[in-house]
Amino acid sequence: MTAGSPWAELRALPTLARVSTSDHIAYRAEMTIWILTSTLPLFMLALWNAVVQDGQIAGFGQPEMARYFTATLVVRQLTGVWVMWELSYNIRTGRLSSQLLRPLHPLFMHGVWMVTALPFRVLILSPIVLALVAWRPDLLAWPGWDGLALFVLSTSLAFCMSFLIQCWFGTLSFWLDKSDGLFGVWFSTWMVASGYIAPLALFPPWARHLLDLLPFRGMLSVPVEILGGFIRPADAWPYIAVQAGWTLVMIALVHVTWQRGVRRYGAYGA
Amino acid sequence: MIRVEHLSKVYEVPVRAPGLVASLRALWRREVRAVRAVEDVSFTIEPGERVGFLGPNGAGKTTTLKMLTGLLHPTSGTVEVLGHRPQSRPPELLRRITLVMGQKQALLWDLPPTETFELNRAVYDISKADYDATRAELVQLLDLAGFMDQPTRNLSLGQRMRCELAAALLHRPQVLFLDEPTIGLDVEVQAIVRTFISEYNRRHGATVLLTSHDMGDVSAIAERILLIDQGVLRFDGSLTELARRFGHGRRLVVRAPGHDLSALGMTLEDNAWQATAEPAAINPMLAAVLQRCPEAEVSVNDPPLEDVLRRAFGASRVTA
Repeated sequence: MTAGSPWAELRALPTLARVSTSDHIAYRAEMTIWILTSTLPLFMLALWNAVVQDGQIAGFGQPEMARYFTATLVVRQLTGVWVMWELSYNIRTGRLSSQLLRPLHPLFMHGVWMVTALPFRVLILSPIVLALVAWRPDLLAWPGWDGLALFVLSTSLAFCMSFLIQCWFGTLSFWLDKSDGLFGVWFSTWMVASGYIAPLALFPPWARHLLDLLPFRGMLSVPVEILGGFIRPADAWPYIAVQAGWTLVMIALVHVTWQRGVRRYGAYGA
Repeated sequence: MIRVEHLSKVYEVPVRAPGLVASLRALWRREVRAVRAVEDVSFTIEPGERVGFLGPNGAGKTTTLKMLTGLLHPTSGTVEVLGHRPQSRPPELLRRITLVMGQKQALLWDLPPTETFELNRAVYDISKADYDATRAELVQLLDLAGFMDQPTRNLSLGQRMRCELAAALLHRPQVLFLDEPTIGLDVEVQAIVRTFISEYNRRHGATVLLTSHDMGDVSAIAERILLIDQGVLRFDGSLTELARRFGHGRRLVVRAPGHDLSALGMTLEDNAWQATAEPAAINPMLAAVLQRCPEAEVSVNDPPLEDVLRRAFGASRVTA
């Protein structure tokens, strides 16, 4: 986008990853609490179990709900980022200045910081998921090797989409005093439209068709449905193609917004 | 090296009257006022020069510095640093400059400064041999060995600032932009930082552009002064020229223990009798001093920089 070259960034990657991991270790307590507070899917599971009882809604009975929300818990942890708040704060306070003066794109550095948090999330999440599956083996279905590969691909794209959309909202702080409020509106929509609080299969057909075209489903529900066995591996590619398409759109959006925003940067307090 | 031509920067600042009604009106009608922070500034700086950029608060010196480093885009005019347009932030330029901001930290807060050093080694793509050599030199010059492996948050302001300088110079930049590098530091650390900057300039031939409110910084580091006030460049020359143009006479300093020279209109400051007078009045005063105390240690200096600048800014306000 601006500073840096792909080779320089690749050469810097191992050290960046090591230093950012040290940084996460320094914040281990905060991160653990944050991860544990992202367990809303377990509460949604309890709620929906009570709703469906012994019956079914749109093909979802208690076993399906259990598989769906366990997969949601896993995917949410693997795709959660917080770059919007970091970026917004850095722009408003002028802390972005020191990052802009380095010959490496600030968003690349943020990306490394977000990716290196993943092992910690897995570490904290694993005992919870293992305990749940030990208690109820039907909570997580084995998707098969091809399903697992597609799940990894789809989750990677969902992570990229989450990262990019947060970068875009953070970049809006070049124009707005605080973009957190605007992101709140997006996040509320995402909660419903991504399948975070209810499976999208429960939505009316017109809404499902609309959501197939919007980015929300690809940011959570697609990998959840692959892991939960709701999308068969052979049927997954069109959904992954939509994810890839939105990823490219978001890259372009962030690129344009960043380039314009940096021109407006006030470097306040720095 | 650094070429600035007709540089101007205009900020659009939102304005709003106090009160709820004005707040509600601002929701649909945002009023802005144009503020000229820098106006038609031109200068060039040659390789290896040490330049002090002086001006009162809001004069435009930090805004100019931010345009020179590419953080701000000029409204008009051109800036060229090491042959590049800074606002494009090309990596070739960013690898050869640095900006140290006394009021902002670039160190990772919860990790030891050594981790930021490692990060910068990777970011600036510094070879292992160069990194080891430069780091050893900086650790020695800034005396960092005793604390650079402690988390940054546990360091004193002075220790942190020395580590900031080291982190900013690991890639051996050819141009140092220093924005208030000694602000808030105690006298001892100020002296370390000033000596270090001069030494770095001498060893590596680096160009130094410094903004500071501290006249000690300026007189210790800068050999050339750019004076800016209300966005306009008022003076460009040496410290001696500055004193000559804006200084009020000469400063007579007499060390004569046991004598009282107040009758000659002198005041006792820092254990020395001192007076500032027009050049023509200095000789008769000097004769009177030597008549009273022939053993006195006497010197005639330029007036203090603070006085010079006070007069310079006063004059620029009148002429502006």
